[in-house]
Amino acid sequence: MLAISHLAVALLVAQAGLTEEGISAFNEGRYSVALAKLTEAAKIPGDKQAHLFLALTQAAIGNCAAALPALTALTDRLAGLAAVKCYSSMGSEAKAFAVLDEMSARWPSDADVLYLKAKLHMKAFNDTTLAMFQRTPASYRVHELSAEIFEVQSHYDEAIAEYRKAIEMNPQAPDLHFRLGRAILLAGHNPESLAKAATAFQEELKLNPEDGACEFQLGQIAQVQGEKSAARNHFELALKLAPRFVQALIALGKIETQDKNYEKAIGLLNKAVDLQPSNETTHYELLTAYRDAGQMEKAKAEKAILDKLQKPPEGEFTDFLKKLGEKPPAQ
Amino acid sequence: MTKILLAAALLVADFQNVAKQAGLTAVFPNGGTVSKQFIIETTGSGIAFIDYDNDGLIDLFVLSGKGSTNRMYHNEGHGRFSDVTAKLGLESSGWAQGVCAGDYDNDGYTDLFVTYWGGNHLYRNVGGKRFEDFTEQAHLKQDRVRYNTGCAFIDIDNDGKLDLFVSNYLKFDPATTPQPGANPYCFYRGIAVNCGPRGLPFDHNILYKNNGNGTFSDISEESGIAAPFGHYSLSVLTGDFNEDGLPDIYVACDQTPSLLYINQGHGKFEEEAVLRGVAFDQNGKAMSGMGLAEADYVGEGHASIFRTNFSDEFETLYHNRGDGNFDDVTLDAGLGQNTRYVGWGTGFFDFDNDGWLDLLLVNGHVFPEVEKLHIDIHYKDRAILYQNLRNGRFRDVSKDVGPALAELHSARGAAFGDIDNDGTLEVAINNQNEAPSLFKQSHPAAGHWLILKLEGTRANRSAIGARVKVVTGQHVQSAEVRSGGSYLSQNDLRLHFGLGSATKADRIDISWPGGGKQVIENQLADRIVSIKQAF
Repeated sequence: MLAISHLAVALLVAQAGLTEEGISAFNEGRYSVALAKLTEAAKIPGDKQAHLFLALTQAAIGNCAAALPALTALTDRLAGLAAVKCYSSMGSEAKAFAVLDEMSARWPSDADVLYLKAKLHMKAFNDTTLAMFQRTPASYRVHELSAEIFEVQSHYDEAIAEYRKAIEMNPQAPDLHFRLGRAILLAGHNPESLAKAATAFQEELKLNPEDGACEFQLGQIAQVQGEKSAARNHFELALKLAPRFVQALIALGKIETQDKNYEKAIGLLNKAVDLQPSNETTHYELLTAYRDAGQMEKAKAEKAILDKLQKPPEGEFTDFLKKLGEKPPAQ
Repeated sequence: MTKILLAAALLVADFQNVAKQAGLTAVFPNGGTVSKQFIIETTGSGIAFIDYDNDGLIDLFVLSGKGSTNRMYHNEGHGRFSDVTAKLGLESSGWAQGVCAGDYDNDGYTDLFVTYWGGNHLYRNVGGKRFEDFTEQAHLKQDRVRYNTGCAFIDIDNDGKLDLFVSNYLKFDPATTPQPGANPYCFYRGIAVNCGPRGLPFDHNILYKNNGNGTFSDISEESGIAAPFGHYSLSVLTGDFNEDGLPDIYVACDQTPSLLYINQGHGKFEEEAVLRGVAFDQNGKAMSGMGLAEADYVGEGHASIFRTNFSDEFETLYHNRGDGNFDDVTLDAGLGQNTRYVGWGTGFFDFDNDGWLDLLLVNGHVFPEVEKLHIDIHYKDRAILYQNLRNGRFRDVSKDVGPALAELHSARGAAFGDIDNDGTLEVAINNQNEAPSLFKQSHPAAGHWLILKLEGTRANRSAIGARVKVVTGQHVQSAEVRSGGSYLSQNDLRLHFGLGSATKADRIDISWPGGGKQVIENQLADRIVSIKQAF
């Protein structure tokens, strides 16, 4: 009995040794050694570590068919990440996203999970864009998408050209004139750009007379042009169309403060705070309205909130530099 | 012929760059011209008009980045300047940033203070014959390398002795500063550029108290000046913004909230920019503040503030309500339509002598690499002149004021003064890696004028902090004698007033620092008037 027991212990020790060696080889990227050791270790049932790292090794060398049953059965974070990569490499995006969704719920702030999710979405975007360019090259949507991509890259002149092409092909399509107007504002820095952008927003309004965002943009242009009364009208209309439009509430609140209608201004701005408690602009405008209304204690309270929201990002950036491996400058 | 006459009639003014004819041909280096490795190459440098030898003609002092010397040009009259740098003992090296002037020892000769990345220099004016570097004797030598930028002499307690404020940008060490493109704060619109200011460590501003014996003491801590942290400070603008008789200090900050130090008396300051409405733009966002100018641009008697900012930002005009609280009136004033420029030196000045202060700003991007983007933002750009429409609004007249403003430079400091005492103001501009510009109108402005040269007796001799009101009919103008300002620069210490069609000022009210008042009535126009503090 004692001899059998000794044998079992010896086997267990040997198995543990194999598992450790396998994991070590996996961590060092010596996958062939890891595969051999872990395959051997996994023969004895009950060694969860051996099964996990065997599956991870199989995934790492591209044998997803063998790895996936174990990876999906396990609830381990590493297994989940490997499963996502496997599904993605096999073209099973839906399954990959399903695993990622489960993982996001469990580890909402995990950098690896978020990174994989971003990467998969990017891949899906690229694949779809390519398909669109290949299958519907003559569609106005191709130009619309090109314009949006240029806009993201800050290539506003190119974006404007693409929006114009899209509009030429489908002048009735919603949002194109709005996006064009916005791109014109981003591209240009002169009074002429303001007039051109205003024209685009007005065109959009012809297609969609209840577009509050267009009214808001027209209000902003009027403000820059020094047309305060026109600006007020546009902001009021924007709010009529979209009563929870925070930027319009702020813009109108600001005008009310300038016109010394403090009660009205404070009402509008408090509504904006309710909708977006972390919006710095709202708290600043509220601070100004309270100050101008002579309510200094309330103004100071708004300043305290603003100070919290506007904390210098120095610490955050220093952490970021550390992650990049750079020595942060001495303070 | 008709076309020529028509074109002439449409011109609001005719500014020419006369630097070459004036003998201002030396080039002032300031880092790279195609790319810049470090932030220190982007911020310099200022320029100053001072009459160092009291001959009645303002001279020109131009600061240099590494590779050359600061230069003093003596005004020889007839629009000509000669380089007297070596003769005056002002040869220098290093990264000069800002300059301010004031007679800190009250000997009747204007002294100079020059800020550096490195260590600052106090140049004591010895009888208008030479300058002596008095930094060490004055206890102004710094114990570490600092990135000093703006400066201003200011009599914080009205004791008749000029104290000194120095703003600090950040802590910069080329050995530890990341290279262009090294991290996300080293990119501009996707191209790798020099890093900063974001990501580089903050530093504190400095206030030195004049001990009255030729030395200064650092009172930054006890005065409260060093208290604010997290600001990249550049230009300085002093003035009694809340009209309590004590001078306050406004500082334009880059990418961080600007600062307003309100003088509490007894050598103490409280920073109140946010509550007083001058820290941010009208959306509560910190701008990249560069240059500063003060003016009573609406004739109310209150000191409003204009600040130049970065491209894709509005410039900012803060209207002073008279109690030191301000409203951002940029858009209402018609100043929101030029957003492609990075603005630097700036000043309110009455170019047409109509009695209303106009506004000039000089521009140039910080990144020469921006040219790779082929967009409408450029490293070298034109200047902007706004004409005062007399109703709180301004009109961009840049294209109608002659060729000088259309010249493309990467301009930094700008100083305003009347080089030939004809009552029409000139503007000197420090351009990066080029000779300076000197904007001069081809014909004197049509309106009448007055230039006032103030001298304190009980107050500091430079009369810095003196505030003057000039009344012509119903129209009231006000201005203050100021050290520093614009972008790291120094304007002529004399005050210029355009009088329009009035041939005399009905009344001149002078409020001397410390409380004394002086009144002059029925002062004839078109002359320079020296006024000594009477009691």
